[in-house]
Amino acid sequence: MNISITGPGVYFTIPILGGIRISQTAVALLAVTILLIVVAFIVTRRIEKRPGRLQVVIEKLVTMLYDLVESTMGKHNLKFAPYIGALFLSSLFGSLIGLTQIFRSTTGDLSVTLAWALATTGMVWYCNIKNFGFKAWLKSFTEPIAVMTPMNIVSEIANPISMAFRHFGNVAGGSVLMSVIYAALAALSSVIFGWIPGLIGTIPFFQVGIPAVLSIYFDLFSGFVQAFVFCLLTMIYVGAANPPAEELPVRNKKAKKQK
Amino acid sequence: MFEKFESFVGVNFFTLIFAWANLLILYLVLRKILFHPIKRMIDSRQKEIDDMYESAEKDRSAAEHMRKDYEQKLEKATEESEEILRSAQRRALLKEEEILKDAEAQARRTKERAEEQIALEKRQAMNDIKDEVSVIAIQIAEAVVARDVKASEHADLIDGFINTMGEEA
Repeated sequence: MNISITGPGVYFTIPILGGIRISQTAVALLAVTILLIVVAFIVTRRIEKRPGRLQVVIEKLVTMLYDLVESTMGKHNLKFAPYIGALFLSSLFGSLIGLTQIFRSTTGDLSVTLAWALATTGMVWYCNIKNFGFKAWLKSFTEPIAVMTPMNIVSEIANPISMAFRHFGNVAGGSVLMSVIYAALAALSSVIFGWIPGLIGTIPFFQVGIPAVLSIYFDLFSGFVQAFVFCLLTMIYVGAANPPAEELPVRNKKAKKQK
Repeated sequence: MFEKFESFVGVNFFTLIFAWANLLILYLVLRKILFHPIKRMIDSRQKEIDDMYESAEKDRSAAEHMRKDYEQKLEKATEESEEILRSAQRRALLKEEEILKDAEAQARRTKERAEEQIALEKRQAMNDIKDEVSVIAIQIAEAVVARDVKASEHADLIDGFINTMGEEA
């Protein structure tokens, strides 16, 4: 037996800008986006004051999202809730779409998780500069003492990398483990049933059932937890960079206006 | 099926851009068709419920206010009726006393007048009797004198007798 562990396969290359490689990940990303948009369109087709069963569920989920954002980031940051929701759904369904075996998990590609982590970092920097000013933001790297500056810079860069690798590692690791288990079960089957002549000997019986149980953990649970963790970290970082208006320094014009 | 494979741990810059684009599109579309409409619906329903509770509370407090008002008015009316009753009683009592007093005074006056009358009549009667007695006494005395008593001897005695008669009566 041999197991080949590879990155996402490349379907074709568009020969511009030095070759744009369209990989499984890109296709899966598109599939997730389309799927989510279609589902969102269907579930919100009829929104009424007196909700049906489906609407109650959707409203419950949306309320949970807004409550989570409010408790983590504060009431003034509720405008981030739709982004967090989109990120969570992208992440969760990006992981789950690997279960179809037609698409590869989008979160099993470091490019995707890094893109999301960099988006978080970009939002944090943007909010910091907008709220405290560019100078104050630069100065914050030298706190509490100037000697700490390299450390602070490293930790600032390490944040998105650690977020990206955590998510990528869990999903990719899970999928690697699952393929190893599949291969191992196939090998076990051929050892035990291989002596039966004909077609029956080639059927990997042990692949039935056993991987499903493991898949619940590696795909469903892990995918959910990683999506949640990623969103939670995003909320915490962005929330910290976007404190309530009354905690902003007085020099901020917007804060003054709001008062 | 595949031209080639990406490295397992690697970053494809174009995939990264693609991931951003997808996230951005998903964010914008879901915000437009899912999050904002649902949130708006929840909020408007919440507001409606709050309004309903508020107006119910307002009605309740208005009713309570009205009830208190009525109770107060009722109490006042009761008090007033009692007051009227009391004053009527007082007036009646006063009137009664007045009438009694009047009656008493009248009775007293009548009695006094009667007594005066009686006294007057008594005096008159006394005077009449005195006159009569003196006449009778003189007649008796004349009768007596005519037989054996001399006027010179008994003049003092007769006068004294007549005088004492007026005093004793």
